[in-house]
Amino acid sequence: MWHIAKRELYDNLNSLRFALATVLLLGLMLTNAAVYLHEQPKRTQKYNAAVTESVNDLTVRADSLYTLAREGPGLLYKKPSSLRFCAEGGEPFLPNVVGGAFLWSISGGLKGFWRLNYPSTTPNLTDIRPNVTKVDWAFIIGYVLSLIAILFTFDAISGERELGTLRLMLANPMPRYTILIGKFLGALISIGIPLTLAVLMNLLLISTSSAVQLGPDAWERLGIIFFIAILYTGLFLALGLLVSTCVSRSAVSLVILLLIWVTFVVFVPSTLASIAGGFSSPMSTDELWQRRGELYAKRWERYDAYFAERVERSKEIQFKGEHVIAEAEEQERVNEEHLAQQIDQVKFARRTTQISPIAIAQHLIESFAGTGFERHLQFLENTRTHARQFRKFIADTDSGDPESSHIIGIRQGMSEKPVSPAAVPKFEDTLNLNQDFNAAMMDLLLLVLLFVVLLSGAYLAFVRVEV
Amino acid sequence: MMTLIRRELLDNLMTFRFAAATFITLLLVVANTFVLIIDYERRLASHNDAVKMHQRQLQEKITYSAGEVRVDRPPNPLSIFNVGFDKRLGNEIEVSHKLVPSLWDAGMHGSDNPFMDMFASMDIVFIFEVILSLFALIFAYNAFAGEYESGTLRLVLTHPIGRGKILVAKYLSAMLCLIVPLLMSLLLSIILLTTSTSISLNSDDFLRIGGIILTSVAYLSVFYLIGLLISAATRRTSTALMLSMFVWGFLVLVYPNVILTVIPRPESPDALRTSAFNRIENIWETFDRERKHYLATDDFPGEDWGYELRGWGWRSEGFRDYPRILLYTYRSVMDFEGFGEKDEPKMPHAQKHFGFLGAQTIDAADRTWLIRKPALEEIFIQPANMERVWLKLSPVGVYDAATQAWAGTDLLGIRDFFHAARQYRQSLTNFFYDHKVFESRQWFSGDKGAADWSGLPQFAFQRDDINTNAKRALPDVFLLLMLNVVLFIVIFLIFVKSEV
Repeated sequence: MWHIAKRELYDNLNSLRFALATVLLLGLMLTNAAVYLHEQPKRTQKYNAAVTESVNDLTVRADSLYTLAREGPGLLYKKPSSLRFCAEGGEPFLPNVVGGAFLWSISGGLKGFWRLNYPSTTPNLTDIRPNVTKVDWAFIIGYVLSLIAILFTFDAISGERELGTLRLMLANPMPRYTILIGKFLGALISIGIPLTLAVLMNLLLISTSSAVQLGPDAWERLGIIFFIAILYTGLFLALGLLVSTCVSRSAVSLVILLLIWVTFVVFVPSTLASIAGGFSSPMSTDELWQRRGELYAKRWERYDAYFAERVERSKEIQFKGEHVIAEAEEQERVNEEHLAQQIDQVKFARRTTQISPIAIAQHLIESFAGTGFERHLQFLENTRTHARQFRKFIADTDSGDPESSHIIGIRQGMSEKPVSPAAVPKFEDTLNLNQDFNAAMMDLLLLVLLFVVLLSGAYLAFVRVEV
Repeated sequence: MMTLIRRELLDNLMTFRFAAATFITLLLVVANTFVLIIDYERRLASHNDAVKMHQRQLQEKITYSAGEVRVDRPPNPLSIFNVGFDKRLGNEIEVSHKLVPSLWDAGMHGSDNPFMDMFASMDIVFIFEVILSLFALIFAYNAFAGEYESGTLRLVLTHPIGRGKILVAKYLSAMLCLIVPLLMSLLLSIILLTTSTSISLNSDDFLRIGGIILTSVAYLSVFYLIGLLISAATRRTSTALMLSMFVWGFLVLVYPNVILTVIPRPESPDALRTSAFNRIENIWETFDRERKHYLATDDFPGEDWGYELRGWGWRSEGFRDYPRILLYTYRSVMDFEGFGEKDEPKMPHAQKHFGFLGAQTIDAADRTWLIRKPALEEIFIQPANMERVWLKLSPVGVYDAATQAWAGTDLLGIRDFFHAARQYRQSLTNFFYDHKVFESRQWFSGDKGAADWSGLPQFAFQRDDINTNAKRALPDVFLLLMLNVVLFIVIFLIFVKSEV
């Protein structure tokens, strides 16, 4: 087996395609690193500046517990991933901040309380530059590497059959699967060499630069991404072997492979996504505003009804506080619902595109690079957790003050003491590898399954093939 | 000659690759046309809703100063072929005397789920870009190399036919084969388009589609000739094939995406922006001084811009600036439903003041535009155009630009809409002057009858006629044709000199 692998390897190393693939991969990976080193420091700087500003704002608000509770914890920013060069993951289309909102006044001269509010990225309407895909690892692996894999294997079996060397090889006393595996390994190694080389050059450039630091966690993630790249390449190699075995002529084999590649890699993801997106229509922005307005009006009515008759003072404050809190909670629920519907639509569309291996690979790379949609969902979850912590902090601080009457939502009912800004919980946008791994397990298994199916398909075809 | 063409044609038509090419192109184009039509219908519905909403909002306003006239850009039905900027740039804009509207002031309606923008959208030209070029290379790689290897080339050359004729025969027959899937799929998609009730194509649109077809054929031919060149130069099928595939990957996949990150992105000159903005600021500061001067020297003591009118309603005033896009404007809105007794004597003064203010605002806005227009051009348009030139180094870029121009979804096509909006602003201000709207009581109050919006000039945007599209597309089409001719000559020279 190793003998065959070695022979394949030598064959490939001397070939034109090996040289071209090396040049192509190296060029792309170096471009990727250069662009990343140019952009990442700016991104980090912007994030740090924004966070600092957000913390400063908090200090201003912390002069009384009421103001702090009413105006909320400020803007919560998404931490840029240091592995952005692996996958852009549609980040420009995702908002990088979750804010809050508070109304200056709601019914009865009361002031509105803080609620979570999810901004949507408004597309940059002044951007008239040509539209291009970012050359990230996901692009290089997804498109270029798969194409190279096909070009390395389309004639693996059919070419030898045309030349007649296949018959010669089969005359040797060795089982057929050895030949197949040997060929597979030979091709995998011959692609692995330029890939590894390119990846190493890329990482060398990035890790030696002082502008960005990659932690140990990042290297772990990079390792996994590299493994995914190899698996994905293997999948296309297996596909190439399968088609090459089934078809007697290399030219036909290549045409078939290219058709499969073009369909599944280039067209299926976006076409299916738009079809799948059409199945559901989430709450529109107008609808959202309308629902909010209705809820607001209802609250207002309830408020009026309550104060239609005389109410004693202690109960009045109690009611007003509850009124303010309920208003904020209601609005937040609508916001939440609106967001959930949008997310469901995207999730459905993403799941549909997983028919195509490139979509699976790209989702995997995104989730390990800490970018993209899954990461955004994690970020949203983090902000929700923070909102809960923040509210708990307010309640705890308030109950710690004996002078307060513990009615949250209204100034008279709350602690008058200033809050130390350092005590306010800080928002921390964390990335957890375990969590990513669990989420990605499904995709990874799917990819492995596809690989196994294709490889065993190639095996079965090869065993039965007549020479 | 005819025999040769027939032989080549039959050779090509009976192959697996021809069947595969036709099948897959048809499949992709039809499937995507369905998706694109649905998408277009959705955008059209959203456009119609927006138009209705803007009209309703305008009618609800009882004073002229509170009314916002908004106009909407309809989606372009030919965006199905090449979407260009049609979905990306703003599609609604306020037209008012306060500001000369431009692309940079536009807003956007229509996307209910911005997350969905993460998925790349596809149009028919993109399918052709990718798949037709691939097929052209697959058809070409063994045209010479294959015949050379099998020895038939020598056989053919023993006949008393010129080598040029053989080359032409090969070229013509292969192009005929390649055009079949192109035309069939386009025909099917046009049939689908005409069956959709919401899309109405006029004769100009069919001519535009004709232009797109012409450009597609030229594009196809470029890639076929590239394939032929490789085939004639390498003389070995396997090498030719490998080289063709890598050339394809580079031209279609890698180059268009990489080049813009490799070249230094032309940063918009900050000094230019600052100086332009300072001049604009000056205009409005002068405007503000004159406004205050008027109020101070008015025969009625009117330090307050609203003459301290007290009534049922609201008023607001302010400057708005946004240096990034050189936006600067002044806005004063009053919306009163009625006044007290005391206010009546102030009315003539207020009316005179707003008449003065209206004329001043229009003048300042016009002067701002004179500075803003060239500055925006230099800051935004020129760098973008530079990048577009870089993209045109690959035939894919040329093809994309040309088809965008035919479809009218290129930058110029979108800017036509804003040009129309500026013209509409002109007729709107003329209407305001003619009907003495600024001096009228309805400018700030609806108590003696609300503002009459029915007489307002109507906005209508017609896409430019086919001549304009042709004028914009032809340079790129010529570029493609030139590329064809050059490639053909090179191949001819190689083929004539080659030994068999």
